[in-house]
Amino acid sequence: MARRIFKPRWQLPHLSLKDALFIGFCALFAVLVRVFFRIKLRISGRSMLPTVFFLMLARGSVSYPFAAIFAGLLAGSAAMFVGFAKQGPMVLLQYFLVAAVIDGLALLLPGRFRHPVWSGLTGALAGFSKFFSDYARNFLIGMDATVNLQLSLIEGAGAALFGLLAGLLLPVVLRRLRAYGVIV
Amino acid sequence: MGSRMPAAQGRLAQGGTRDDGIGRRMIVVMVLSCLAFLARRVELLLLLTGINAVAIFWLHRGPLSLRREMRTFAWQTAIILGLHLFRFRTMAGLWLGFKVSWQLFLALLPGMVFARTASQSGIVRVLTRVMPGRAAFVLSTCMRFIPRLLGEIKNIYEGQVLRGARILPRDLVRPWHWADLLHCVVVPAVVQGMALAGHIALAARARGFERFPRRTCWPGE
Repeated sequence: MARRIFKPRWQLPHLSLKDALFIGFCALFAVLVRVFFRIKLRISGRSMLPTVFFLMLARGSVSYPFAAIFAGLLAGSAAMFVGFAKQGPMVLLQYFLVAAVIDGLALLLPGRFRHPVWSGLTGALAGFSKFFSDYARNFLIGMDATVNLQLSLIEGAGAALFGLLAGLLLPVVLRRLRAYGVIV
Repeated sequence: MGSRMPAAQGRLAQGGTRDDGIGRRMIVVMVLSCLAFLARRVELLLLLTGINAVAIFWLHRGPLSLRREMRTFAWQTAIILGLHLFRFRTMAGLWLGFKVSWQLFLALLPGMVFARTASQSGIVRVLTRVMPGRAAFVLSTCMRFIPRLLGEIKNIYEGQVLRGARILPRDLVRPWHWADLLHCVVVPAVVQGMALAGHIALAARARGFERFPRRTCWPGE
């Protein structure tokens, strides 16, 4: 009797070590610049600028379909290491949500963040994911639903604005990198 | 050396791991970093600074030169004070900025000292307990090389300032100068990061990394 060999119809693409290390650098920069953005400028959602920028840079420079999620998980782990752990696992969730939106839209939208409109839209939606993580955190600590909704909407709107800015800045960088032949 | 080897092999044979207390040190570093974010008052910051000094002595198992870390603190303080001066324009604002910089320094210092003093294989070994081996290798390697990459970015920044790029903190308060920052610093930094990643990957492959499904060698044992 012939042995039946099970072959999966779809396999996860291989991520080279060089790309993985570059994604790791992007993740650490997302955390380090975010730490720097903790200075009190009294602007809501400002930390989403480096987060969205570096996660989108990871996805835009590497052709691996889950690059942003990998970067997000590494950034979340590193963030817990450098002191955001007071938020507990929520910091991982926050990075994961942003990264999942970026990877999802990179698959759906054309050009992989080369066009400013699509890139800006991706950045804004990725930034707005802060609404969900903030709502979940406030829900868990028992905040009133209406106040929670309003507060999370304000936070989400601010984060979406900074995400939009990050999304608009990214195509400039990607265009230069492509011109130098660093990425394809 | 000869007398230590059999004991180490014996421990490994019994299923034990040799991480030289790196897991314990990692937890201490995380706790100290978290405390830095929670300490808002000057007395608490002073207390935490003292605790950090003791912890650094313990992390290094002896006195350690902090010249590089102090340079980072001075650089970071200058930028933060500049931004706070622009935002508040008062002495109270400057004091607030200094406290924030102090807090950030205390949050990052234990991690910086830990990354300098702990062996990379030990960090990877601890991280592999909570994440896949490849991800642990990537994270620990990037943490190890990030100070070097930051140093190269600083060189790029200084070179571009000398060339006349408008990227000084006082220039960056005007958003129309951000394009200069992107072109002159961010793009070369990304290229440098990719080059460094390529070199590390090449070195790792040359050492047989990923030739076997499971890690076969832990340097330093």
